[in-house]
Amino acid sequence: MAGDEFEAEALRHLDALYRTALRMTRSEADAEDLVQETYIRAFRFRDQFTLGTNMKAWLFRILTNTFINTYRRKATQPEVTDLEGVDEFSLYRRMADDRAASSSPDPEAELLNRVVDTEVTDALEELPEKFRTTVLLDVEGFSYKEIAEMLGIPIGTVMSRLHRGRKFLQKRLYDLARERGIAAVRTPQKG
Amino acid sequence: MDCNDCVERLYAFLDLELDEKELAQVRAHVSGCDDCGDQLGLEARFLDRLRDCCTSDVAPTQLRERVIQKLRGASPPAT
Repeated sequence: MAGDEFEAEALRHLDALYRTALRMTRSEADAEDLVQETYIRAFRFRDQFTLGTNMKAWLFRILTNTFINTYRRKATQPEVTDLEGVDEFSLYRRMADDRAASSSPDPEAELLNRVVDTEVTDALEELPEKFRTTVLLDVEGFSYKEIAEMLGIPIGTVMSRLHRGRKFLQKRLYDLARERGIAAVRTPQKG
Repeated sequence: MDCNDCVERLYAFLDLELDEKELAQVRAHVSGCDDCGDQLGLEARFLDRLRDCCTSDVAPTQLRERVIQKLRGASPPAT
């Protein structure tokens, strides 16, 4: 692939790489550095990209490797890696319990609509890194197999990280809605 | 397929990761079970919301310019 052709195709994925890097590193400056480094490496090794294969997946693999090798090492505080109590959490069950007490015709929609975008992304940034990275790659549309290859983990691990990561996010959003007293969500009775 | 089997497969169903056999089983179960159907609907809306929130950011213009500059000044590919 010629240099300019490669450049044009690779730059199509800049926004996706940047927003993922932003949530991986949780810092705009680090995200920009990570994306730059990703492009430099991609361009250096562009002869190893196989024409006709998925350029986005190839770039994301470089992004993920660079992140793991550089930024994971930089992390100063050990992260809590177990998500205690999330396995048992079921947003559906909670909402079903609340529905009886709710005046809203569609409490689930109300909950999901009343939580603003930044609250969703803040909750995502609270997720421990391994879960966060897996959820982010899923959000970008990669298959379980592609994510497994990028992270060097079995497909079963991808599935369990996605499952637990999503439950964590649902619990966070539910708790947030309850704190705010969103009508759809019943506040716990005192006494 | 019972409700537990179905709920266990909801994410794989929504992620388009089920094989044909399991896909048919989940579809058949959901069409006859309101509870699992509602749960599927809730999970689908949650995943849509998450995707919408996470895929709207764009890269800063200066970053795009810096990347282009770096690529144009870069040496030929390593072999």
